[in-house]
Amino acid sequence: MAGIIMMARRNLLNAAVVAVAIVATATTASAATQGSLGSTSTGSVSISASIPSRVRISGLSDVAFSNVDPSLDAANAQNVCVWSNTSTKGYRITASGSGAANAFTLANAALVVPYTVEWSGTSGQSGGTALTAGSALTGLTSTATNSNCASGPSTSASLIVKIAAADLQGMNSATNYTGTLTLLVAPE
Amino acid sequence: MAPPLSRVVVRKRTPSGSAPTRAASPARTCGLRWQAIGIAIVALLAPQSLSAQSNSVRVTQLSDVAFGALANLGVDAVQTQSICVFAHTANDGYRVTATGSAPNGAFALSSGASLLDYEVQWSPSPGQSTGSQLSPNSTLTGLTSSATQQTCNNGPATSASLIVVLRSAALSSARAGSYSGTLTLIIGPE
Repeated sequence: MAGIIMMARRNLLNAAVVAVAIVATATTASAATQGSLGSTSTGSVSISASIPSRVRISGLSDVAFSNVDPSLDAANAQNVCVWSNTSTKGYRITASGSGAANAFTLANAALVVPYTVEWSGTSGQSGGTALTAGSALTGLTSTATNSNCASGPSTSASLIVKIAAADLQGMNSATNYTGTLTLLVAPE
Repeated sequence: MAPPLSRVVVRKRTPSGSAPTRAASPARTCGLRWQAIGIAIVALLAPQSLSAQSNSVRVTQLSDVAFGALANLGVDAVQTQSICVFAHTANDGYRVTATGSAPNGAFALSSGASLLDYEVQWSPSPGQSTGSQLSPNSTLTGLTSSATQQTCNNGPATSASLIVVLRSAALSSARAGSYSGTLTLIIGPE
């Protein structure tokens, strides 16, 4: 069986992260107070800051299927980091392929093979919820405590890419099929 | 026979007509005059003398620190302001103690139960973007003020810098929301 390569181009942070800014106006609770002349002098300032909702996806790796057995389904799972700073740490994810109408397909010129994408809100999973190209999977929650999982959990979700045996059997041998999977994460 | 001059006593009534006053002889009058002048001089000098001996300080020109909506959580957010610290001490020296409004006086803003740590720096010179790190409830000593007037109305317009920093590490780990807090500064003479 010829090698089959699917390249899921790494979606670096800025491209994959969509920030829905909930811009809460930073209100000033009280005005600064000035000190008076004396043996000691006390003044105070109010400090305010507003942090909008943010998400981040990182830790993505390219997916390569090489010399897979066409009689069996091929699967590749990886642990990734998804971070959300909302009060519930919630997020949603939308996947888009590089095929026609954002289809999950690999291609070599006119040769096309479909694949499937699954997502799990926990890491270390070999299966998850099937994603539909261009449609958001909602209601997910992250366990990440750092925006790139540098501290706390090192990963927080699983990305699973599969090619069905029937589709593998329809591919030409000695031919590289490639494509790009784009993942869009948004806060909830 | 006329009485001795030193014994002359002239009685007269006060405008209210209550108690008489006694007019002294010219010699006594002269002595009293010098005594009054002495008292006046002491009275004039006394406030200045007391003022020079007392150590007094004042902090003014403080402004609230509003970071606004922080779009980029990947970089430190810094707010600096030049303020007036006046120290009426022998060497214009002072110390500063800062306290935050988080538990135990910690430097942290709050949004409900969520906290956002910040740092406080101090410089005894105005217009600075960095300074000595302050710790909550700890005193930074050995500072000197250049202010010549207690509110910097004349002389240097400001004499110190207050710098508040929100580190990116804290920002990128914080929950979304509006955070606020109060920073209290206590100036003492040195």
